[in-house]
Amino acid sequence: MTYLATFHWGWLLASLLLGLAMGWIAVVHRGQGVSKTTARWLAGLAAALVAAALTQVIPGRFGYWLDLGLILFAVYLVGCAVGSWLRDRVLSRHRA
Amino acid sequence: MHGLFRWSSKWWPGTIPLAVLWAIAAWTSTPPLEADLAARSNAALKDTVLDKARMAVAGRDVTFAADAFSEDGRRSAVASVEAVPGVRLVDDQTRLVPESKPFAWSAERDVVRVTLGGSSPLPAIRNRLMEAARAGLGGVEVVDRMNLARGAPPRFDNAALLLLDQIGKLKDGKVTISDTKVSLSGMARDLGGREAIAAALKNLPEGFSVAANEVKAPPYVFQAYKDPVAVTVTLTGYVPDNNVHAAIATAAGRKFLREKVVDNLKASVGAPAGFANAVVPALGALARLSTGTLVVSDREVKLSGDALYEAAAVQIRAGLGKDFPQGWQFKPEISVRPAAAPVDATVCQQLLADLLAKAKIRFESGRATIDPDSAALLDRLVETAMRCSTVNIEIAGHTDADGEVAFNQELSERRAQAVTDYLVKAGLPASRFTPVGYGSTQPLAGNDTDEGKAQNRRIDFVVRKGE
Repeated sequence: MTYLATFHWGWLLASLLLGLAMGWIAVVHRGQGVSKTTARWLAGLAAALVAAALTQVIPGRFGYWLDLGLILFAVYLVGCAVGSWLRDRVLSRHRA
Repeated sequence: MHGLFRWSSKWWPGTIPLAVLWAIAAWTSTPPLEADLAARSNAALKDTVLDKARMAVAGRDVTFAADAFSEDGRRSAVASVEAVPGVRLVDDQTRLVPESKPFAWSAERDVVRVTLGGSSPLPAIRNRLMEAARAGLGGVEVVDRMNLARGAPPRFDNAALLLLDQIGKLKDGKVTISDTKVSLSGMARDLGGREAIAAALKNLPEGFSVAANEVKAPPYVFQAYKDPVAVTVTLTGYVPDNNVHAAIATAAGRKFLREKVVDNLKASVGAPAGFANAVVPALGALARLSTGTLVVSDREVKLSGDALYEAAAVQIRAGLGKDFPQGWQFKPEISVRPAAAPVDATVCQQLLADLLAKAKIRFESGRATIDPDSAALLDRLVETAMRCSTVNIEIAGHTDADGEVAFNQELSERRAQAVTDYLVKAGLPASRFTPVGYGSTQPLAGNDTDEGKAQNRRIDFVVRKGE
């Protein structure tokens, strides 16, 4: 993991920034969110993919791409969470 | 917290650029990642001795195939690849190098190259053997047909290096190691090479033994050529040492009447036993020929040429082999020179006097036995006597003044008789020769010096016309 992080820090940073931006926007976004059912399905899919990555059942390059995708996605989620939280803080201070 | 769930339902649009990002990252990073992992894995194996190591990287998974030289080495090699940071799975396709039983190694030399074959225990030893062969054989092509195998006896490399040293001493041949048994065959490059190899084999490492040493020595050749035109005897080839060299040179000087001895002999070990005892009499036989070649090759003596008369040819053919040490062979190819034209009494006397002026018939001290070294002179005298078949000859024996008069008188008579007997045995009629002893009554020089005495001890041939 450390190896992937050091090898791909540029891509990870890009996905973190993407996450931050998306999280920042999401707080005030008025469009349709994913429904609860879809969200559950997506969470299940993500868990299955994480399980596949941890058990190392997918060999070779596909295994590597899966790992890479999951790490990028995880960093993206972290970015979204931080971005949304920051926006929320800014907005609540504004309201006050 | 509740807010986070609410917001998260709206995070999905970002996954579209994220997927694009992912695709680009996967596309561009895979080859450098694989190359990086391969380089790190190979670096991790740098100090591990392996043969045919191959590394294939797909994503973060490494397929590792290699031949290891021990089970421990194999395990530690796999473990060090597994420990490389970033490597996810290692597909272990390593195996042990096959064991060779018996463990055989060979080095074969022919005219143009040296071929190393068989098994070698480790790549490093294999390289060392190749380097040693190249360094030791200077310029000869060295071909590597060795494969790697386990099961070499201890100190194999030392034994193989020692044998590679020996192959430099061979003209052609083969050395082999089979487990701890060493075998050699072939032909030594130089005289003494076989002995040098045998001596070196005593230094084989502990545990190794010589199963067969069939290295042959090149023939030990000694040659002498008597050239009647240049009036020389040319000696070429080898003699065992300086003492024998001196003995042969002295013997040649005594046995040849007037020929100059050209000595091109070289000293070398490897002479067959009894060398001097065979060569010296053979030189005596050559001296009796008018022209001839003596070739001594190992224990075979070949003498070819022309004898001065028939009886001499018969004597040489039959007699020389008897003088040889045991195991020596004599191959005479002796013909008889055509008889020279007859001469009259005056010329006859002149020729005989000329011969006796150049050399003297020698006897054993105080006795009437003719020294074998005088055979060449006697043959010349016989030949000359045959040319003047009409004259009678007095064989006159003289002594110096040492000793009693009666003894000297008798000695001179017996010596004259011995020479006469030689002539008769050579086929001349006894009636033509009169042996006479003069004791010390007719000195040529004073008897007070050694030189004078030596001049006085002599046999003269005096032609008596009309008797």
